[in-house]
Amino acid sequence: MHMADALVVPAVAATMYACSAAAGGYSVRRVRLENEPKKIPVMGVMGAFVFAAQMINFTIPGTGSSGHLCGGMLLSALLGPYAGFLTMIGVLLIQCLLFADGGLLALGCNIWNMAFYGCFIGALCIWKPMMKRGVSKGKIIGASILGCVITLQLGAFSVVLETWASDITELPIRTFIAAMQPIHLAIGLVEGLITAAVLCFVQEARPELLWGVAEEKKEGRFSFKHTLAVLGVLTVLIGGGLSLFASANPDGLEWSMEKVAGTAELEASGSVYEKAAGIQEATALLPDYGFKNSGSMAGTSFSGIVGALVVVFVCVGCCYLFKFFKKNRKHE
Amino acid sequence: MSHIHICVEHLNFSYEKKQPVLQDISLFAGEQESVGIIVANGVGKSTLLKLLVGLNLNFEGSIRVEDIPLEKQTLPKIRERMGYVFQDADSQLFMPNVYEDVAFAPRNYGLPEEEVERRTEAALAAVHIEYLREKPIYKLSGGEKKMVSIATILSMTPDIILMDEPSVALDPKNRRNLIRLLNEFSHLKIIASHDLDFIWDTCQRTVLMAEGKIIRDGKTEDILRDGELLEAYGLELPLSLYEKR
Amino acid sequence: MSKINQAIYEIRSLDTLANENRWVNRLHPLVKLWVTILYIGITVSFPKYNLSGLLVMAVYPVILFVVGEISFKDSVRRLWLVLPLVCVVGIFNPLFDKDTVAYFGSLAVSGGVISMITLMLKGIFTVLAGYLLIASTTIEKICYALRLLHLPKLFVTQILLIYRYLSVLLAEANRMTQAYALRAPGQKGVHFKVWGSLAGQLLLRSMDRAEELYESMCLRGYQGEFYYGSRIKLRAADMGYLSAWTAAFLVLRFFPVIDVIGRIFVG
Repeated sequence: MHMADALVVPAVAATMYACSAAAGGYSVRRVRLENEPKKIPVMGVMGAFVFAAQMINFTIPGTGSSGHLCGGMLLSALLGPYAGFLTMIGVLLIQCLLFADGGLLALGCNIWNMAFYGCFIGALCIWKPMMKRGVSKGKIIGASILGCVITLQLGAFSVVLETWASDITELPIRTFIAAMQPIHLAIGLVEGLITAAVLCFVQEARPELLWGVAEEKKEGRFSFKHTLAVLGVLTVLIGGGLSLFASANPDGLEWSMEKVAGTAELEASGSVYEKAAGIQEATALLPDYGFKNSGSMAGTSFSGIVGALVVVFVCVGCCYLFKFFKKNRKHE
Repeated sequence: MSHIHICVEHLNFSYEKKQPVLQDISLFAGEQESVGIIVANGVGKSTLLKLLVGLNLNFEGSIRVEDIPLEKQTLPKIRERMGYVFQDADSQLFMPNVYEDVAFAPRNYGLPEEEVERRTEAALAAVHIEYLREKPIYKLSGGEKKMVSIATILSMTPDIILMDEPSVALDPKNRRNLIRLLNEFSHLKIIASHDLDFIWDTCQRTVLMAEGKIIRDGKTEDILRDGELLEAYGLELPLSLYEKR
Repeated sequence: MSKINQAIYEIRSLDTLANENRWVNRLHPLVKLWVTILYIGITVSFPKYNLSGLLVMAVYPVILFVVGEISFKDSVRRLWLVLPLVCVVGIFNPLFDKDTVAYFGSLAVSGGVISMITLMLKGIFTVLAGYLLIASTTIEKICYALRLLHLPKLFVTQILLIYRYLSVLLAEANRMTQAYALRAPGQKGVHFKVWGSLAGQLLLRSMDRAEELYESMCLRGYQGEFYYGSRIKLRAADMGYLSAWTAAFLVLRFFPVIDVIGRIFVG
């Protein structure tokens, strides 16, 4: 999701701009080092492609709604993290200017939340290690889904943090997180599936286009079923873990944030803490959420229910996909 | 012999080892000639044109442009003398507006800005599209895009013009315009097309190719009137010649 | 699929607006970029209870719409796109923040209501400011401004190329989805069986296009550097515009103008 200008204060916006600019500068240097003049037109056209493809509605089976492609993951699977990151920045800037998706001031945040995680984490930590020993359809699907889910979770979490640090909403941070993370888990899964479908098509038609794929060893034989199983378990773990973490153990979250952020930043937003004390009482307004001292970890939270639905949905989706590709193989 | 010419000798080319796309092509074209290349079932004509401008260097045989052999080191020199008009104008025009696009090549050759402007104006004038100067590319019609594509290569003042399917996707009026324009040019022109009427109207010489080989090379008059020859290779007489048969 | 059509239409109409010959369009792009970002930054920097101070910031969009002859009507649609998100975030404020901070006559207003309103105003103002920039400045000119700011050429070239091929690929995507929809009546989107092949085809075609584009660039002497654009001179009018707005924003932000004016009327 794109952050709007109104959701950040200048200090937060500037910080995120600085972070994104650092990553961007590094990427420019890396792309220049690669010294492939051909990359420039390819980046430009692929940026436009992602833009256009994100406007195509893909129907999600079994629901009335539709999903879209995950640009960051797709671009980095084709161009590598650095070129992919730069291309995503271009896409985000044009989206912001032409379609008011996110604002000029919040652009730094949006670059970080969407492009940085998608390209750097998605490509370097997930795609590259998974494709190191040869590529296979199972691995592509696994990497795409895992990449999209993780990068979207991180992105959504950053949105919450940035909004919260800007002291924009009175919504308690835990409620915010509990609302954001499960939704983005579902979105991440759908985007992952669509991205996987596209990348599988590319692998079949023009495997040389994929980035970071080691010399073609036909089928690394990490079996398809195996991948699905691992994937399923991972999704359940991540989904379940995150929703539990977010909904049942918010204090732990705040505690860890304190550790990560250091004290300096927290002092700067001291007023937030005073507010938070007031909010603590206010949460009683919504007793159904049952955050405080929740004895039973399972089944009480809204996010838990959503998480459960998502897991069911993943299983159904995986089965469909499995059938779909199996059929395709038979056709070949 | 004038200095403007292109000379191809025993050219062989294949994308993958087994299937040859071009076999033993020899061709000489000199100043002010206009050569039409027609190909039965269409395989190999873009390949031939792209080889001539050095977009693919894995060929056997020799290609010489104005006595410069086509090699990696000589590419900039050769490309300065040749202009290639792509079939799809959208791939050729990548700058934001017409002026910038036409000025792209002269700027790349490091000319001073006044000279760039002079050349750009001249190129626009040569194809009679001065009025399009500031227009963004995406607002152009198909015919206008083709004209701009031609202007972008004219701004390099090439000696030789290569065109790949120039008449595709043009309406009759733009098509006629293009024919008139091409006949105004005195460059050496090589035009690959399956539009035999277009070749008939623009080229004095025609090369008929099939399965990667040159079948016949001669006057357009002779080749395009030879119904039997054309039919043997799955081609048909130009429409404009039907009644006269 | 009207979404793609809508996007194509949007790009075209914005480009037409930006290419018109109004005085706002003729201003130096870097000046406009600076004023826009400064305006957005100052607007969002208002504390959440400072409704009155924020309201005065409306002068910038109002003046530009009126004096710059930019149609307000066209910008309304963009507000519809952005406001829901802002509202979702802000709508909870009245629930959590119930302390009364102000009275309008005998009506007590809680902090939450005020902060919700300021948040929405910020949303509206910032979106309008963005619109005013893009409706009076073409992407090429914005890229020129970015280059003046010493952003890497590689990056700016990217933006130009994306923008150039955006309309080409949108049209292509439009044709594909239309062809699909005609043969798949009653479907709202693209069936999951063809997810991969539909977008994948478009991707491969785009790759081929990029290949050809690269060839075309090479044939015209491209060797890894891009040269474009003639210089736009900074005129006195630009400097005036720049300093006037900068001063105005700072005064509006840091001096209680509204109180002074208010006191004149209330006595």
